[in-house]
Amino acid sequence: MLILDLGLNALVTGVVLGSIYALVALGLAITFGLLHIPNVAHPAMVIGGSYAVAISNSYGMDPLVAGVLWAIPFYALGVILYEFYSRSFESRGRGNTLQSLTLFFGISLIIEVGLVVAFGTDLRSIRAGYIGHSLTVGFIVMPYRFLIPAALAPVVIFLLWLYMTRTNTGLAIRAVAYEERALQICGLDPAAIKRHAFGIAMAMAALAGAALVITGPIDPFAGRAHIGRVFAVVVLAGMGTIPGTLVAAILIGVAESFVMTFLSPSWAPGVAFAILLATLGLRPNGLFGALR
Amino acid sequence: MSRIIVDRLVAGYGAVTVLRDISLEVGAGELVALLGVNGNGKSTLLNCILGFIRPRSGRIVLETQGRTVDLLTRSPHEITNLGIASVPEGRRLVPNLTVEENLLLAGGGPRGRKDIAANLAFCFETFPILAERRRQYSSTLSGGQQQLLAIARALMTSPEAIVIDEPSVGLAPIVVGQVIAAIRALQEARNLTILMAEQSFFQAIEVASRAYVLSHGKIIREFDQTSAVGDAEIRNAMMGVG
Repeated sequence: MLILDLGLNALVTGVVLGSIYALVALGLAITFGLLHIPNVAHPAMVIGGSYAVAISNSYGMDPLVAGVLWAIPFYALGVILYEFYSRSFESRGRGNTLQSLTLFFGISLIIEVGLVVAFGTDLRSIRAGYIGHSLTVGFIVMPYRFLIPAALAPVVIFLLWLYMTRTNTGLAIRAVAYEERALQICGLDPAAIKRHAFGIAMAMAALAGAALVITGPIDPFAGRAHIGRVFAVVVLAGMGTIPGTLVAAILIGVAESFVMTFLSPSWAPGVAFAILLATLGLRPNGLFGALR
Repeated sequence: MSRIIVDRLVAGYGAVTVLRDISLEVGAGELVALLGVNGNGKSTLLNCILGFIRPRSGRIVLETQGRTVDLLTRSPHEITNLGIASVPEGRRLVPNLTVEENLLLAGGGPRGRKDIAANLAFCFETFPILAERRRQYSSTLSGGQQQLLAIARALMTSPEAIVIDEPSVGLAPIVVGQVIAAIRALQEARNLTILMAEQSFFQAIEVASRAYVLSHGKIIREFDQTSAVGDAEIRNAMMGVG
């Protein structure tokens, strides 16, 4: 019975962790999955969101409300950042992947160092009424600090999926990386669409930041643990799929959770990389990848 | 109703000059063919009109609803929104969107938005095969169906003029006939201004009211009454021996 208990607990923990991973990976599902921009700075942006939420929280604001409010200035930051990226890279020499990687790696470092300079290297946490309490169902115990951000993920992903499939701008965002000229023929400006999409991705970083800082204390470098995992999630889901992100993230979360429970916690960080490599080798289009 | 006027256009890539001193006009409601074998500058000319290539000198203007618009200062999406739609070479459909999504993407732009439902209904009525395949990815259509989708997509932007680049390229001869017939039917039904580049001139001159022949970047012949011209004469002109 112990094995069953452990297994069931690991499964639930995995699903919950996976949902949170999905939220962290969602911005990358837009920038990398849809725009094909290798934004390795995304986890650092998420941590930037966590700090923004923590500041608002220190004035007594609920972290989730703060996350939603911070999404707006983060959108504007994303638009500006994309404009800079496209002027300095894409318009000249058509966005060499290696150069873009270098740029976003640099941005990642700048965000981390900026956070260190501004707030120091101490762990930072938030206060909320539900932190410290747990939901107990039978022998499964799940703290609210995991449960609440995990519940946010499907809601955000559903809304984003509606936007991507039901609106003209959503269709344009899905089309822009494949056939820029098609957009121009349709009377839409590809540069404006990409700016907007990058803005949405950064808004997602603010929401994910809120989710992450609810789960536990963070420091300026906390994003680094997520870099490999968010890329693994996007690649496993398949480039360009929004709902697939949730499924892929939960699979990875469950896999990590089982490795942690039955093998050793020290192996857990390798799980995402193993899945990333296996996906690239066995099914390069991912689970739900669009054709091509 | 709109008219496209190209005046003394010179264009090229790098050190190569492709178009030399091109002047032509497509009148309101006219279907004009631009004939010429491969590599003579047909696509370059169309891409200049659509804003994808900036010419070195000359003028391209659009006369629409009593005003004259200089197209050379506009970007491609602005030109679409002025009412010049495009059926490009290689069709340029979005492969990861369905047939219907490809149409909605075009129809939801600033120009077609208010007529999107009527335009979609018209496209599905005109091309029943697209209605049948509306949920399929555009990349799974046959070449002829993709060409029809590209034409339908142009209609979704509520255009007054359409620039069509080689609609017959890569299609089986029987399908070419269907595509050209569809273009002709649309032109009449909606009174569109159409400029169509084509190298298979038999079909093109059957539907066009006038034709220009482009050779080595110059317009070498102009046929005002294509119906009165013999095939041999056009063929000779296209080969540069006329």
